[in-house]
Amino acid sequence: MLLSIIIFLPLLGVIAIALLRGMGPSAVKGIALFISLLTFLISIGLYTGFDANIEGFQTNELLRQKTTWIADLGISYHIGIDGISLWLVLLTTFLTPICIIAAWNSIEKGLSGFMMSLLALETGMLGVFCSLDLFLFFVFWESMLIPMYFLIGIWGGERRIYATIKFVLYTMAGSALMLVGILALYFQNDSSFDFVALTQNGPFDHSHLLFLAFFIAFAIKVPLFPFHTWLPDAHVEAPTVGSVILAGVLLKMGTYGIVRFCLPLFPEAAANATTWIIPLAVIGIIYGALVAMVQPDLKKLVAYSSVSHLGFVVLGLFSQSHIGIQGSVLQMINHGLSTGALFLLVGMIYERRHSRMIVDFGGLAKRMPIFATFFLIVTLSSIGLPGLNGFVGEYMILLGSFINAVNGTFSIWYVVFATTGVILAAVYMLWMFQRVMFGKLDSTNESLPDLNPREIVLLIPIIALIFWIGVYPNSFLKPMKMSVDEVVKKVDTTQNTPAVGQLEYIDNTVEPLQNNETDKPMLINEEEQSK
Amino acid sequence: MPTINWSLLRPELVIVSTLFIVLIFDMIDSLSKKVLGWITIVGAAIALWVSIDMILANKVGTQFNGMFEIDPYSLFFNVIFLVSTILVTLISLSYLGRDNKKQGPYYLLILLATLGMMLMAGGNELIIVFLGLELMSLSLYVLAGYFRESPASSEAGMKYLLLGAFASAFFLYGIALIYGATGTTSIPDIATKLTENSSSPLLLSGMFLLIVGFGFKVAIVPFHQWAPDVYEGAPTTIAAFISAGPKAAGFAAFIRIFMEALPDMEPHWNGVIILLAMITMTGGNIIAIAQTNIKRMLAYSSIAHAGYILIGLAAASNDGTASAMLYLLIYCVMNIAAFGAVILAKNADGESLLISDYAGLGFRKPLLGLFLTLMLLSLAGFPPTAGFVGKFYIFKSAVQSGHVWLVIIGAINTAISAFYYLRVVVTMYMSEPDEELEINPYPSTLVLGLVIASIGVLLIGILPTLLLSPAQNAIM
Repeated sequence: MLLSIIIFLPLLGVIAIALLRGMGPSAVKGIALFISLLTFLISIGLYTGFDANIEGFQTNELLRQKTTWIADLGISYHIGIDGISLWLVLLTTFLTPICIIAAWNSIEKGLSGFMMSLLALETGMLGVFCSLDLFLFFVFWESMLIPMYFLIGIWGGERRIYATIKFVLYTMAGSALMLVGILALYFQNDSSFDFVALTQNGPFDHSHLLFLAFFIAFAIKVPLFPFHTWLPDAHVEAPTVGSVILAGVLLKMGTYGIVRFCLPLFPEAAANATTWIIPLAVIGIIYGALVAMVQPDLKKLVAYSSVSHLGFVVLGLFSQSHIGIQGSVLQMINHGLSTGALFLLVGMIYERRHSRMIVDFGGLAKRMPIFATFFLIVTLSSIGLPGLNGFVGEYMILLGSFINAVNGTFSIWYVVFATTGVILAAVYMLWMFQRVMFGKLDSTNESLPDLNPREIVLLIPIIALIFWIGVYPNSFLKPMKMSVDEVVKKVDTTQNTPAVGQLEYIDNTVEPLQNNETDKPMLINEEEQSK
Repeated sequence: MPTINWSLLRPELVIVSTLFIVLIFDMIDSLSKKVLGWITIVGAAIALWVSIDMILANKVGTQFNGMFEIDPYSLFFNVIFLVSTILVTLISLSYLGRDNKKQGPYYLLILLATLGMMLMAGGNELIIVFLGLELMSLSLYVLAGYFRESPASSEAGMKYLLLGAFASAFFLYGIALIYGATGTTSIPDIATKLTENSSSPLLLSGMFLLIVGFGFKVAIVPFHQWAPDVYEGAPTTIAAFISAGPKAAGFAAFIRIFMEALPDMEPHWNGVIILLAMITMTGGNIIAIAQTNIKRMLAYSSIAHAGYILIGLAAASNDGTASAMLYLLIYCVMNIAAFGAVILAKNADGESLLISDYAGLGFRKPLLGLFLTLMLLSLAGFPPTAGFVGKFYIFKSAVQSGHVWLVIIGAINTAISAFYYLRVVVTMYMSEPDEELEINPYPSTLVLGLVIASIGVLLIGILPTLLLSPAQNAIM
């Protein structure tokens, strides 16, 4: 029940705003902020009520709900969370109030429509992360497109219409195939769309095609190279808040889909697909980084850095090792925080200067010390400096991929190339930071005011989390351990069943290592951390 | 002389009575003509209520020596026709103008066309189906050319008449050939005769002529050319009407004949239907992208929707038929409402029909923007609207019958169609207006029609079981 309240409370806010928008802009903003904060506060209950020892989805009545919806078609309203979706739900409820505060003064036209879209989007995103019924999942997945379409299309920049239509069409093209996949699964699942039943019903016929139908939809959303071309357009044209939500949560829906559906439902197909997905992920890491390096536009730079960062996440997921997947899930949150914060910061500077071009800036650190401090922390977190969140995630991903590369799942060179992505990230981020913050202060920038209290207030929670994850990731890793175990178990058993003679030798030597790794992933990580 | 169970014919009788009331009312000069539309609505509403009542009470049977069948199938289609008639009449009230002298024949013809549709859905005999078809079509020809002073409307009426007569001829010739092959025109008898002697060239050609005839009537590619011209020229309310009820009636007879009379011929017709479904969806959607006139765009979109419905027929299963029926009902409501929103946008000097005229409308006329957006999203098949449920059920039944490729093409078409539906939304909300358009105040009856349709579209989107079970029961 609690979960339903969290999902639909923002929708209630939409209705409230629609009815009360005559009361003026401050009332609209007040309602939106109140509702989103309330949603966040209630969602903390998910964390406190979460039992980290349960395998799979939480069974607590508060966190799990199943009601028949369309009985004739085997569709139920089934929602629940596990250690993976818990964090994405919290990330969503955490970022939404921040977005509302960020948009406090920057929306000139159609404020009520903006807030309604934002809250409707929150409902859609939460629904996607909580659905345990494929039909329900698809309903949320598609309906979340509409508010995002308006957010970019109405409140976006110059080429917003092109960007928003591209965004919708890319996603729809992907989801069209996913719909066919969902239908095909339905008939192999005793005519039911229930996801929990589905996890027990595998392996499925045509699993390779089904895997592709799902994977392409998610790969477009991630976006994995070469499906990424919609992303820079959407990010650049979207309003600041749109970019934050897009980078913070929407992209995670792709990686979430992979870890929730692609890996556990079609383990064999996923194992086979590693041979081409890992290269694509690595190309994405390096290509994204290289393109980011030459961007003259701050927002575009951050957008391309997302392509690179999410390449890491996909790499970790398809390393199919416990530590890699755990790192990926953590990195989803990290990326949501750091990139979300970067977009917020870029938005703040844009509001002051009405330019996002790096050449227009320089020497800002002197004029705006608070801004520069926040910017530095977030930049370092994005690079992956030890002690900040980005390091933990990327380290675990690389470690996990390295372990499996040593096992012979894929070439070790991929991991080596992926690691250069970390260095490249330092290059483009620090270079950008240097050009914006240091050097000669341009005369036009001399009057730029530093951050105001509102902006500081909305950044501080993000910064706090950046440090928290960086210093003590265990509070985040622990609840997700069992859930990641579930995924790994699915992937592993089927990986080993068709083991051909060739692989046996490797399997024997590696088994102790794998056990060790699944038993004590946190320990390994902490040890490395303390070094 | 067989006894006639009049109680089974209640919906038809109500419509006939309403028709006469309208006729007599119109002849008496001293009576106000304002109420003609309301008489039509009340009559159709009573017929709707009676039909629903008969579905719930499961009143079935055949009449007139088995020539007319009253079964859950025909009753469900009655609901589709009557809902369409009520909605079209609601949006017509203000469109025709309250003191328009010519209202009498308008509502009379709408009721006649509705009666023709009901005959088509219940016809258990090819001749009855043909009679219904002609009754419906002749009324529509007149309605399409109803605005005599407008050249576009006259052209639409003439075009529709010529091509429609052509299609009727195909249909009749098909009946003749099938009669020649089987010696009967009764739908159940054809099925029994077929088990004895299978495909003869006579029967095959008769069958394909029927497909051509129906193809014209329900606007399937490549028999669709009349549709955009007629929709554009005809009064907008009539365009809404033609796109809804008659299409449903065409499919009602189409599905009944092919699923009940010719099920044994399925190997012969299934491939053709699949092919037609593919080119109809794709053709309709791709040409719709290029349209600048919203009525033409909706015309091509309705062609594409005929393609989706054909998927249900191609599935050739009970579920497929049920899904096609459900989709037709949903489609009729959302399409009429979309046309209704177009009427709402009409300005002082006429209608604003170019999509570019809608620039900035969403903010200046929030209610209109909301209606049109909701209907377009539903037509595009976004959840949580009824359009999504309908499409989902059709795709599901087709996958069940093994037509995965057809569904993939259908799903891709959904993405294509989103492009042009959303383009209207883009224009309404994201473009700045070139000039300020004068927009009339909202006529309350039109808004009422749109509110009803909107509630319906959302309600069915969230609680599809309300319609799903009746549709499934109508087939089982």
